[in-house]
Amino acid sequence: MKNFFLFVTVVGLLVFGSCSKRHSAKYSDGYFNAKNSNIHENKQLLKKSFSENNSLKVIYFGFDKSDLTTSSLKILKENVDYLTDNSNIKIILEGHTDDRGTTEYNLSLGQRRALKVKEYYVQLGIEPSRITAISYGKEKPVDLGNNELAWARNRRVETKSLI
Amino acid sequence: MNLNTKIKIIKKILFLFYIVLYLSSVIYAQDDIYLSLSVSDKRSNIAIENFNAISENDNIIKITKILQTIIEDDLVFSKYFNITQSVYENFSVSFEEKLVFLNNKGISALITAEVIDSNGNNLILDIKMFDVITGEIIWKHKYERKLENYRYMAHEASDEIVKKFTGEIGIARSKVAFVNDSTGFKEIYIVDYDGYNLCKLTKNKKINILPKWSPNGEQIIYTSYIYNNPDLFVLNIVKNKCDIVSKYQGLNVTGSFSPDGKKILLTLSRDKYPNLYLINMSGEIIHRMTNNSCIDTSPSFAPNGREVVFISDRPGYPQLYIMNIEGGNVKRIITNGPCDSPSWSPCGDKIVFTMRQSGGNYDLCIYDISTSKIMKLTNNQKNNENPSWSPDGRFIVFCSNRLGKGEIYIMAIDCSVIRKLTEISGTSYTPSWSPVLIE
Repeated sequence: MKNFFLFVTVVGLLVFGSCSKRHSAKYSDGYFNAKNSNIHENKQLLKKSFSENNSLKVIYFGFDKSDLTTSSLKILKENVDYLTDNSNIKIILEGHTDDRGTTEYNLSLGQRRALKVKEYYVQLGIEPSRITAISYGKEKPVDLGNNELAWARNRRVETKSLI
Repeated sequence: MNLNTKIKIIKKILFLFYIVLYLSSVIYAQDDIYLSLSVSDKRSNIAIENFNAISENDNIIKITKILQTIIEDDLVFSKYFNITQSVYENFSVSFEEKLVFLNNKGISALITAEVIDSNGNNLILDIKMFDVITGEIIWKHKYERKLENYRYMAHEASDEIVKKFTGEIGIARSKVAFVNDSTGFKEIYIVDYDGYNLCKLTKNKKINILPKWSPNGEQIIYTSYIYNNPDLFVLNIVKNKCDIVSKYQGLNVTGSFSPDGKKILLTLSRDKYPNLYLINMSGEIIHRMTNNSCIDTSPSFAPNGREVVFISDRPGYPQLYIMNIEGGNVKRIITNGPCDSPSWSPCGDKIVFTMRQSGGNYDLCIYDISTSKIMKLTNNQKNNENPSWSPDGRFIVFCSNRLGKGEIYIMAIDCSVIRKLTEISGTSYTPSWSPVLIE
């Protein structure tokens, strides 16, 4: 019987308690909790922005593909030669996709493209610690067009150097 | 009578008291539902008499009219009601004659309201609903809110009226979070479900994407490139505080809150291929859910908290998969094309998702779990993506470029109602529908 009293009381509290929940509507730009957010796992990314390096070439992909074509491998080999000669340069690989498909899927597709390039660079002797791979999915197109040519230009991995 | 006997008698009385209390609450709860509309799926005809402003103040008179319009719009949108504005043949009719008139028109209930200016700062909405046949008040409530929160107050009344008729609370106090690029950057916005009270939440001039509401409506998680990496942030809109939750190098994206709001399912790449992980609110990995070199992403919890639907390109193109929360019992849902952005309905019986059509455009589809049937919700109106359920599971919000640029739309899952959420410049993406937000 005690359990029954307890049950009724708890149910009562839950019912009445849930009615009194406050929900403030003071929306404004949420500020960042400095304690928590100023340490990023990858400090390299926080240092400085990345620069387009004319010596490092971009490679392109087929629709929904992340495999490296023969011509891509040739271009990446040239990038590796440059990176071998300039061993002080740390790089970031940015994977991008075209506009088709959803934000989430394209983020993963862009990441996989960047990783494929990283794997190839490592295979050719670049230290993994020099390379960071990230994805922008379809968020940073170079061509805003809505046609085959624009899509083809957007499906890419850019190798950028960190200064 | 000794003490023991007295205690026994008191216990017996208390026990009977609790029984009576319990039974009366059960009976009251049953009685609470005026008509079971949710079962019949028919609209009830109700009349709304012009709301009466008890004030000479022009602003109050204006707001009184708006309050009535908000409630009418909410009730019509709910698909539970047809609204008749009660125009009588003769204006000097008595209340009884009005009821007879309405009854003859097939109207079951009449809503009246008085709007009172309280101290200049607050507004009182004194609303009553009459049964047209008996003339009895079947529901009444006096709402008092700050003047500027009048829209919330009207939605509050609408939600109660819906509850009175269906037993389920209405959704008029819900909001939609989405991404818009009108500033040149991708920022997170929220807006009321009826398109009012647009509010920009992030102003960091970076890429902020994929907002998702927590089950209690206090938090929104999203992915931001503020530190040049797609990290997962949680914005507490009650405490007005933003924290980084997950910041592994590479992807920290597309979270889905567990129904208890204590865990997040997301895609992490951690310098490897993107896989699904379960983390707690401090960002610690509880366990890894998938482990392969395919793309596993877009997870959405079932309301029971035990199953998850997600996207994987294991067959060579993205398909829907269901697995349990331990990562086992993985089942593919076979479809005719590449699928994306699944969302499990709050009722648990359906999954809405996007499917690429043979013509190259994306349409919304619903997978019915009990029958395994797939029904198309949109049909070749360009691209329709990223669906998210209303709290009652009867509507979805989604993104479509049917009129050129990407905009947010709301539709009923029986396709009977469709409307653009709000007019905003730029392109809008990835909406997420909040739970009902109780102030």
